[in-house]
Amino acid sequence: MLLNKNVVFHFLLFFLSVGYFVIAINLGAPFINNGLQPSSFPLLVGLFAMMFSSILLYREVKLMKSKASSLEDDAQTDNALSGKGRFAPLAVMLSIFLYILLFSPLGYFFSSILFVLSIIIIFSSLEKVLQKIVISTIIVSFGYLVFEQMFGVRLPTLWG
Amino acid sequence: MEFINLVLGSFSLLLSPQILLYVVAGFLIGTIFASIPGLTATLALALLLPLTYSLDVSTALMACASIYMAGMCGGSITATTINIPGAPSSMMTALDGYPMQLQGKGPLALGHAAFGSMVGGALGAILLIVLAPFVAEVALLVKTTGKFSLLAFAIVVIVIAQRGKVVKAGMAACIGLMLATVGLDAMEPMTRFTFGSSELTAGLDLMPMIIGTFAISEILIQAKSNGCAEKMVEALKKVTISRRDFIPPLSEIRKIGIMCYLKSSLIGYAVGTLPGAGGSMGSFLAYAETVRTSDEPETFGKGNPKGIVASESANNAVCGGALVPMLTFGIPGDPVTAIMLGVLVINGIQPGPQLMVGQAELIAPMLASLLFSALILIPLTLYLLGPYFIKIVAIRKDVLYGIIALLAVVGSYVATFSTFQMMMSLIIGILAYYLRKHDFPVITLLLGFILGPNLEEFLRRSLSLSNGNPMTFFTNYDSLFFVILTLVFVYFLAIKKPLKKPF
Repeated sequence: MLLNKNVVFHFLLFFLSVGYFVIAINLGAPFINNGLQPSSFPLLVGLFAMMFSSILLYREVKLMKSKASSLEDDAQTDNALSGKGRFAPLAVMLSIFLYILLFSPLGYFFSSILFVLSIIIIFSSLEKVLQKIVISTIIVSFGYLVFEQMFGVRLPTLWG
Repeated sequence: MEFINLVLGSFSLLLSPQILLYVVAGFLIGTIFASIPGLTATLALALLLPLTYSLDVSTALMACASIYMAGMCGGSITATTINIPGAPSSMMTALDGYPMQLQGKGPLALGHAAFGSMVGGALGAILLIVLAPFVAEVALLVKTTGKFSLLAFAIVVIVIAQRGKVVKAGMAACIGLMLATVGLDAMEPMTRFTFGSSELTAGLDLMPMIIGTFAISEILIQAKSNGCAEKMVEALKKVTISRRDFIPPLSEIRKIGIMCYLKSSLIGYAVGTLPGAGGSMGSFLAYAETVRTSDEPETFGKGNPKGIVASESANNAVCGGALVPMLTFGIPGDPVTAIMLGVLVINGIQPGPQLMVGQAELIAPMLASLLFSALILIPLTLYLLGPYFIKIVAIRKDVLYGIIALLAVVGSYVATFSTFQMMMSLIIGILAYYLRKHDFPVITLLLGFILGPNLEEFLRRSLSLSNGNPMTFFTNYDSLFFVILTLVFVYFLAIKKPLKKPF
């Protein structure tokens, strides 16, 4: 199998660059009466991005072909990380995403306690949950003091 | 002279308990963040950026300056005690600091690091105070075409300074430039890359860019390497430090020689003025120069305090140097100055030569704080808190990242009181995480985003002034100067063979 994570990532960058360039083309002509139009700069940036991303993609594919064992290396590296370490970034992303969704409806306190607790658990374990709930509550209260009391930021509440 | 008087007068602001509290708190936060491997002063600044909304600009900049100075010297703590540099700029410090720790001279190594940081930081700040007004006046002579060439020069230098990953740096800069083009066009009533979203019409906000790039991506990186952090905490628990040996004896300072302090500081300052160079390059070059000119080069890497002094004097002098292009041309040279520029932009202040000339009273307190941090806070913090550093650095990582995550995500909300900005921070954070994971330098992404709008504007203005003739960039002297400068830097940084490692 030719594709590995690195190739997929560099392919995505190339795809992003091409997509950006195509949208820039659709913005209109780059020059009118010797003056640069809104599409000109994005076209230039898109061209450079396509150039850089294609070089990177080419290098990555070449590396794959020349080092057939690299797939095994990658697999070994991934296996070296614990299952938790491998999925922890995804768990953090999901926690932040859910926190943002719940931030306004649940209000600062409840959503933040759940969020901080989830981050603490991701970075440690499910042991001593009660202690971690207390720590989360203290951190969230500290955040409230910093943002709302010290710096006057109005944070959302459960009761509007 | 007028500006120097203004800076000297600004020291009186430090008599205000509230301002002093922000400066000292900033310094302590910067030291703690820089000393914990994985955390940086940049992260500290990114997290505290939202809070600057409720401070006046001068106070916010004063706190930023103290964090910056602390960030450069704080990394030496774990570099010396456990051979893990808390910040990249302290990499060279570990070469001689850790062997000294093994010889039972850890506190003395930290004392040398602090003294070197103090001298380098102070000299860098003094040079900045003396030279910045002149540079600002010269900057006023640069016209539209020259401004484009200058910005292009800055981006090219930042990209080629990332040795070994120039193409990746170029790609990251392009992504930054792409993100900068989202929203309403600066010269025509037309939206670009908004995909029909009204929230993107005004473009991407700087706040989620900074928080996403430096804070959220860092949390994701640390989540992946959580096991390493636990090992580090275990190593830290074994280290004990006492206060009595922190102060380096005068005989040792004499042996190191004043020239070592001065030369390293000047190297650091000069490197700092280059966009993208940063503290690590400054300390590397100063260390290399010290080894090259030493009578006993074989002692370096085995616990020679001269190596620590060279590295720390240089990386702290970088602070003064890096603020020169930011204040005079509006070009940030590293992540910290990029965030400081963000503080100005958030408060509606346009950085550039006009700022130094017309609103010097806003900038002078920041420079006073930089000098104060170097001269007073560096030695005082080491002496008073030195023995407790290791306990602070060994804080539980789960709790630490819980606090950081909360400050980062809620901080993005502060900008506009909208969850849209929080979501943007997350998206930018995920993008930056994958870029960092694949060894892309995200600093070029941020600088591309910051410099992009001006780069486009000056390009379009220059060409409309010259009726579309691109030769205008070679026929105007100010522009030609930066074109030649770009070629010189490309030759020395990308074509000529790199320096050999001094160890």
